[in-house]
Amino acid sequence: MSNERPVRGRRRLVLDENVEVSEPSLEWKARTLQWGTRAKPGKGGLKIGDLNVGIYGEIPDHWEEQTRMPRGAYPMPGVPPIGIALRSKRDLWADNAADLYEEAIQRRWVPATDIPWDTIEPLPDDVEAAMCQLCTELSQCANVEFETIGHWLQHMSFGYHEVKLFLASNMFDAGRHHEAFRKRALSNGGGLGLESRGEVNRMILESKGGWSETSLLLHLLRGTFILNVYRYGERFANNPAEKVLFGLAMQDKARHIAYGIQHLRYAVTHKDDKALVFERLLNIGERVFVRELQEPALLEPMAIVFGGGIEGATVGMERVRRMMADWVRGYLSMTEWIGIQRGAAFPKELAQYLED
Amino acid sequence: MTTTNDNFNGIQEYANDQGLKLDWIDQQGEWGVKASADGQKGLTLSDTQIGSYGDPAPTSDNMTGKPRGAASRPNAYRIGGYQVRTKSDIWLVNAAMLYEEGLQRQWSSATDVPWETIRPLPDDVERAQCQLATFLTEVEFVAADVPGRWVAGTSPDYFEPRMFLITQIMDESRHLDVFRKRALANGGGLMQRPNVTTSGTVGSIDLSRDFTEMSSRLHISGEGAVLTIFRMGELMAYNEAEKRIYRLAAQDESRHVAFGVMHMRYLAETEPERKEEVHEYLDEGERALVAGNQNPAARDTAQSEALAILLGGGEKNYDEGYRKLLAIRKRQAKEYVQRIRSAGFGERFENGRALPELMEYVKN
Repeated sequence: MSNERPVRGRRRLVLDENVEVSEPSLEWKARTLQWGTRAKPGKGGLKIGDLNVGIYGEIPDHWEEQTRMPRGAYPMPGVPPIGIALRSKRDLWADNAADLYEEAIQRRWVPATDIPWDTIEPLPDDVEAAMCQLCTELSQCANVEFETIGHWLQHMSFGYHEVKLFLASNMFDAGRHHEAFRKRALSNGGGLGLESRGEVNRMILESKGGWSETSLLLHLLRGTFILNVYRYGERFANNPAEKVLFGLAMQDKARHIAYGIQHLRYAVTHKDDKALVFERLLNIGERVFVRELQEPALLEPMAIVFGGGIEGATVGMERVRRMMADWVRGYLSMTEWIGIQRGAAFPKELAQYLED
Repeated sequence: MTTTNDNFNGIQEYANDQGLKLDWIDQQGEWGVKASADGQKGLTLSDTQIGSYGDPAPTSDNMTGKPRGAASRPNAYRIGGYQVRTKSDIWLVNAAMLYEEGLQRQWSSATDVPWETIRPLPDDVERAQCQLATFLTEVEFVAADVPGRWVAGTSPDYFEPRMFLITQIMDESRHLDVFRKRALANGGGLMQRPNVTTSGTVGSIDLSRDFTEMSSRLHISGEGAVLTIFRMGELMAYNEAEKRIYRLAAQDESRHVAFGVMHMRYLAETEPERKEEVHEYLDEGERALVAGNQNPAARDTAQSEALAILLGGGEKNYDEGYRKLLAIRKRQAKEYVQRIRSAGFGERFENGRALPELMEYVKN
């Protein structure tokens, strides 16, 4: 491969006027690393994973390339680097990323038209205020999610385009959640509530040491909690609109977590001290999380929504505790599956939910 | 804006009995808001732009990530680190509408493209199709990586443009994916990656440190040029699958270009003192458009030769294809001029500032 452009002959081409054009070089015609590839569509159409055949399916453990060259393309010299930081498979990979990306596209929805907004009826003031506060919190959490991924996307190598594609869909989903919960807050005589104090948000946004560490906090710690909030939101919805909204958001969130835990397990099994790094980060992260849970604005609105009003808040709080127990149980089983030890380091404030 | 809702005062005592603090319940943004869905379009973002939740302020001091219109918390962490906190730096009048359109018009490259209509093509045509697809699968994701960074760096007070940029990221992901699929679906493969510099140098989309600078290159020059190619897709498609790909990609791309044009128009109207600076970006953009690093119809590149083969119907008709390619170049230039005029910067075509080489294409 030469960096020099060959000297090419010139000739005149008759158009509406004479234009001098180059003789075609056609050198590119022979430049392919593998020809004769025929990816076949399956039952769900032609999926991105179906393309992983021959050399196009060889996913290297490390991708030196610092440019946007597609995996499997014929390289050309002299292209300036763009500073891609994440170039090792263990830093971002998950085997399910390609399938999850296609699933995200198939399961896309539109808040404007897929939610039956006309089913929302006026609610008692306390319930409306609680729902609006919950929606404000969820909208802000989604905002942090897409800001975080938006920062990381550019740093991810094109050798692992499946992950970039999936995370673009994750960002897209988060944008939709940000929008949909805002719409709910503004559609029934209420308004937005109080902004988050943002301690967990800060922890996620500031976890810039590595994408795996961000995913640990975003997908595993915060993500699994949000999934449970969505699940209970769907269960105790006041009307079909909320039921559909929480149900669809839950479907999206389950996908984000599926990527996260698969990636974290991959990271743990491909780097010796990764499990220890994760354990130490969770030792801090879980305590930050506990502090945030003590903010009345987080769990109290849920107690009111789940209990049908302040009058039912005692029952509602029992339901919140059940939600927290479900979350803790699921979270601990995921950490175990990934290979992260919690044990005695797990905060007693969270462990107590399992004793109730 | 925080308003106290008197209705909640009476329940505090009862709440105390329930062990609730309720210190959040009277801390709200504007209360009593009831956005209504508008017929077939449903409940759109525009419908929720009401009262204090509507038009954002010209500057934003939101450094905590607070949703626009929510009540502020004095002890919230300043975690935003947003560099775009001036409305005119990123705003446009129709972002909410473009966002909703972006959601409604999402498509799936797996199932919305009739892949079964692809049949074996002559070797020269298949290689040309694969060369073009290789180029597009590489450059299209520039328009996802870069907006991602700006979404993260813009105040949530200006969330409508951010929401639109998120749809663009999704669109460009699909473009990366669909052109890779095309290259690997018909007995071909990926070919030579672009041998020209598309990024990593001063004046490239990646390195812009101002949103308008970036948008003028990405949305106006880069995507504008690609949009013309996609719109001519009928001329270089050999089956229904390829036609569908170009049609759907053109639909997406035209939204992205519209965003760029409308943003520049907003800037021209609200901060005319920045026009001269924007003309500098356009000077650079025009040079790039003619040099063609991100323009598949540029002359003397692998992708322009591939296009000539596709447009001509094979290598044997190369000259015929090249004639069509030059016609596309003219159309690209004319459409560019039209967009810049629409954005409010048309004076450059009257005062001799526009690049003469580009203007040559606009003649006739």
